[in-house]
Amino acid sequence: MKIAILSGKGGTGKTTLATNLFKTKNAGILIDVDVEEPNSHLFLKPLILERITIKKGYPVVNPETCTLCGACGDFCRYNAILPAKKKVLVYPELCHDCGGCQLACPTDSIQYQNRTIGNVFSGKTESGLTIAYGDLLVGEVSGVPIIEHLRRMTDKEPLVFIDSPPGTACSTVAAIEDVDYAIIAAEPTPFGVSDMKMVVELLRSLSIEMGVVINKAGLGDQEIYEYCKEENLKILAEIPFSKDYAKSYASGGMLCEAFPEFREKMEQVLDQIIKD
Amino acid sequence: MKIAVCAKEKGMESIADDRFGRAEYYVIFDTDERGSETVENTAKGEPAGAGGSAVRLLSKHDVEVVLVPELGPKAVDAVNGFEMKAFRYADRKTVRETIAAYQAGDLQQIETSTTKSHSGLRRA
Repeated sequence: MKIAILSGKGGTGKTTLATNLFKTKNAGILIDVDVEEPNSHLFLKPLILERITIKKGYPVVNPETCTLCGACGDFCRYNAILPAKKKVLVYPELCHDCGGCQLACPTDSIQYQNRTIGNVFSGKTESGLTIAYGDLLVGEVSGVPIIEHLRRMTDKEPLVFIDSPPGTACSTVAAIEDVDYAIIAAEPTPFGVSDMKMVVELLRSLSIEMGVVINKAGLGDQEIYEYCKEENLKILAEIPFSKDYAKSYASGGMLCEAFPEFREKMEQVLDQIIKD
Repeated sequence: MKIAVCAKEKGMESIADDRFGRAEYYVIFDTDERGSETVENTAKGEPAGAGGSAVRLLSKHDVEVVLVPELGPKAVDAVNGFEMKAFRYADRKTVRETIAAYQAGDLQQIETSTTKSHSGLRRA
């Protein structure tokens, strides 16, 4: 079973939920695919056993055979290749590595080369659980190839917890495609609800079953409850706002180990999702 | 020779835009025919690489000189690649006044980028 933990807004508790559900279940694999700022490993503290370099292609144009016809630039949707007056300009960091310009080129003047865009690290926690995470290099535009690598790596695993990127952009879609269940981490604030609505829309368009964990409950207002009711969304658990939780989190602690009532919440969520 | 200016609106009396790649329009002035046309910037909503795309658009209109408020590193490469010249204006006056300032030799030519690289729709 693949379980994605996601949110519209950042800072609503994706990592807290993902790592604590994983630790409470004490089984499966956790992948942190929020590759712009992975942080699950800060809590699970794995010993890193392997590092894989992730590469991405970009076009290289042969000036000997290129006729500057412009077909590559007309094709590219990302402005990564720009046929100028005397040569073709290539912006590797804008390239999505789709290969389209190569197909469009009538004189077969385009070859692809690879460059490194990030890394995937994997290791084991003290208790022997496996975790993997991706890390996109600074300045890179898209971490999707790293996310896809992590997803492929764990494709055959029976139980995977996916700590997803915030928002609803390409990276989130890559993180949650074909998962069996999505847990939305949401906070009961106007911003939280507004961003959550976009996530609900995204999950529905992908036909992914979902449930909501309301984090920092007690703050904000009632809008999230009204919205969940209107949309018939299942509230899996409510985690109250607590300064003690925040302190523990800020020092890298695992809430499910420090607070028995928090662990119970995690068990409650798991029981509703994982049916064996 | 054709000169393009980044513009908020259509026509010579429009105020010059404060961005290049994501300007609303380009007003193109033909110094030989003393006439102008306004081109909508089809690149302004691009998720990334708007500057390069805009330079290509202007090149298709035979623009040789572009007057800009700023120019990022990728756009500078594109301006050079399309053998255009870029000049920078500091004040946001009308398109007509900006062209007059260029013709009077009051604008500085841009040789290297005036802003940092950025991705997407962020303001510089």
